[in-house]
Amino acid sequence: MRNTDAITLTRFRASFADPHLLLEAVKRLKQEGYPIIDTYSPFPVHGMDEAIGLKPSRLPRACLAFGLLGLATALGVQIWTSAYDYPLIVGGKPLVSLPAFIPVSFELTVLFAGLGVVASLFVASGMRPKFKVPDLHPGVNDDRFVVAGEIQAGASFTVVQSLMASLGALETELLVEDKSQTDHSLLDREAKPLAFLLAAIPAVLVLAALPLLNRNYLKRNLAWDGGMMAPVAYQSFDPHPSLPGGQVLQTPPAGTVSRKGLVPLPFGPGKVEAERAGLELKNPFQPSQENFSRGKLVYDRSCAACHGLDGDNNSSVIVARGLLAPAILVAPVVRNMPDGLLFHVATFGGPQKMKGLGDLISRDDRWKVVLYIRELQRAAAPKPLPAPAPSPSTGATS
Amino acid sequence: MKPNQVFSVPSRDLTRPQFPTLAEIGEKFRLGAWTLSGLGLLMLGIGLATSPLHAWANVLMTAFNLTCVGLGGLFLLAIQSTTGARWSDPILKAHRAMPALLPIAGLMMLALWFGADTLYPWARPEAHGDHLLKGRLVWLNRPFFFGRILLFFGLWILLGRRIVQRGKGSAVFILVFGVTFVLANFDWIMTLEPAWNSTIFAIYGFSGMFLQGIAIVTISAIVLRRVGLLPEISKAQNHDLGKLLFAFSCFWAYIWLSQFLLVWYANIPEETAPIRLMLNSKWTPFFYLNLVLNFGLPFVMLLQRKAKTNERVLMVACFTVLAGHWLDLYLMVLPPVLKGASPSFGFSEVGGILLQFGLGHMACWPVFMKDVNPEQELPQAG
Repeated sequence: MRNTDAITLTRFRASFADPHLLLEAVKRLKQEGYPIIDTYSPFPVHGMDEAIGLKPSRLPRACLAFGLLGLATALGVQIWTSAYDYPLIVGGKPLVSLPAFIPVSFELTVLFAGLGVVASLFVASGMRPKFKVPDLHPGVNDDRFVVAGEIQAGASFTVVQSLMASLGALETELLVEDKSQTDHSLLDREAKPLAFLLAAIPAVLVLAALPLLNRNYLKRNLAWDGGMMAPVAYQSFDPHPSLPGGQVLQTPPAGTVSRKGLVPLPFGPGKVEAERAGLELKNPFQPSQENFSRGKLVYDRSCAACHGLDGDNNSSVIVARGLLAPAILVAPVVRNMPDGLLFHVATFGGPQKMKGLGDLISRDDRWKVVLYIRELQRAAAPKPLPAPAPSPSTGATS
Repeated sequence: MKPNQVFSVPSRDLTRPQFPTLAEIGEKFRLGAWTLSGLGLLMLGIGLATSPLHAWANVLMTAFNLTCVGLGGLFLLAIQSTTGARWSDPILKAHRAMPALLPIAGLMMLALWFGADTLYPWARPEAHGDHLLKGRLVWLNRPFFFGRILLFFGLWILLGRRIVQRGKGSAVFILVFGVTFVLANFDWIMTLEPAWNSTIFAIYGFSGMFLQGIAIVTISAIVLRRVGLLPEISKAQNHDLGKLLFAFSCFWAYIWLSQFLLVWYANIPEETAPIRLMLNSKWTPFFYLNLVLNFGLPFVMLLQRKAKTNERVLMVACFTVLAGHWLDLYLMVLPPVLKGASPSFGFSEVGGILLQFGLGHMACWPVFMKDVNPEQELPQAG
């Protein structure tokens, strides 16, 4: 640091209109032994650093250090997040797949190096808000090329002035230190506690982030619902203000072939649903020879093995084997069940052992089987002719 | 005003007796060039007799590389002329000789007429039955292909002559170069494997070409200053060349990664096949060596400012880049030609390399000799 009081009247500056004149002047001043303080120009003058005799800048080292820091940060964050903290295979690549990390690493290296070296420059050169070069020539931002130097003890200003004039200087003058300006800087005032507070913000942020790094996988995570859990899209059966028909689901075009067969069956498995089916469903098929024959065919194939060809368990295979007997279809209990309930049992299975056959037998066929079972019951009815009287009272409510 | 005088390092004085005269140096260069070219041709001949596949591939590599050298010099010259650069004035003489290679390179490319069916699948008769090639045969057929070669070289030589002799037409050349060099890369190298394509391939080729061009300019500048032919070259020029070399080495790596990363990540079978071969075969070490030679070593070597002004470090870096560019081309040309066979280094490869050095000197030297004539005034940038 220079002692500004001592040299206040021994400094001079000379301004030129041409960078090459400035370069020549600097070289001449060096030759004559005048210490050069600095030069100021609107743009960097090629070769000026060497002419003043500046030592090579140490900023590249800071640049390298910040670059390496950026590289380490980028690689560290990427490897840690994608391979350790939340291992997730993306695109079938290995967890630590370096080629994929290169773009981010490159960008962060450049970012850290760039910002870091600028910050280092500010710190190293004492640049801060309201910092002003003392008594700077106003033209150096425009068209003037200025050199500032010191007059050694014993030399007089007039000698310097004539020397500079001979080298083409537009003007040469003594520098007067403007002390009032140097007192306004942020760091020179009582601002140090504030500066420390500002510097502490990143540290506090890092500390606040520590719990995030220390996660317990056995505990349920707090989920951040970014709105993705509740879709804003319309659902199929929602009403719609502007679509034809006033609802989202549209009638398929004429001639569309259904992939599944029929409209959805709005029932699930279970006893409650079965009773609801019994109340709500009607057999869409009327008794006819054709429907009976189809029903018989399906019944003989799929049902008769357990329930017997006549629905009375007589020819049942599993009964013959001594296993659990299925419901007797021609018994009054079954006879009094509504069609819909039988249909539901055929679709989803019975209360005990019977499996649902809904995915094996088509819906139409199940209804026709129900028709056929009614026919079987009618055929079996004459034998217990006196029985019909008590049966409604027992079966109607089941 | 001569800003370079400030840092000029002591250069050799031609009048002092311990240094060879211009004529003596010229004689040595010429002798060396003829010997190298003769040896190279001989080796290529042996290669052609023993393994035509390798020989033709190396003819293509040699021709392409000589084109790259010529265009590299021309392109540098054109840029400096368009931007009105002054830093390069002392080294322009080294650039100006390089385009002299273009006619020789063009002749070598035309010589591929006889080896086209060995190298290019689309030039074989059975290509007409290949459904992958059917549509591409409109563009890829012998008359049109060699017609394009003639057109490209014609344009380059004509525009290049205008730039070198009169210092004019640089902007036009840069525009023409942009289109023609892209097509040349696609035509000559990428169609070795006609079913594979990469849209960045030409830029990749350009980055390698430019990097090599800078390396050759740097080598010539240093060598010529050492023998005292370009005494005005100073440390400042070395530093600038070092910076260019460093920057474009990084640029090459950037483009290399841009091509590799997309293919690697997307993993589309038709694109991945060549990369897969590179990553899982005897080519793998060379695949990585390519990165080290073109990017890794120059990057580490030239990172420091001191290194960029040090002639010895610069020379090593430049020759590393030259070797790297040769390997780069080798990896572009040979795997598709050999159809997945292991890499080999034989007569043809040695012949190709010798021929490159020999022809390079033979073509550039006379032009350069004319330029270093003190009475010759260089045309100023327009």
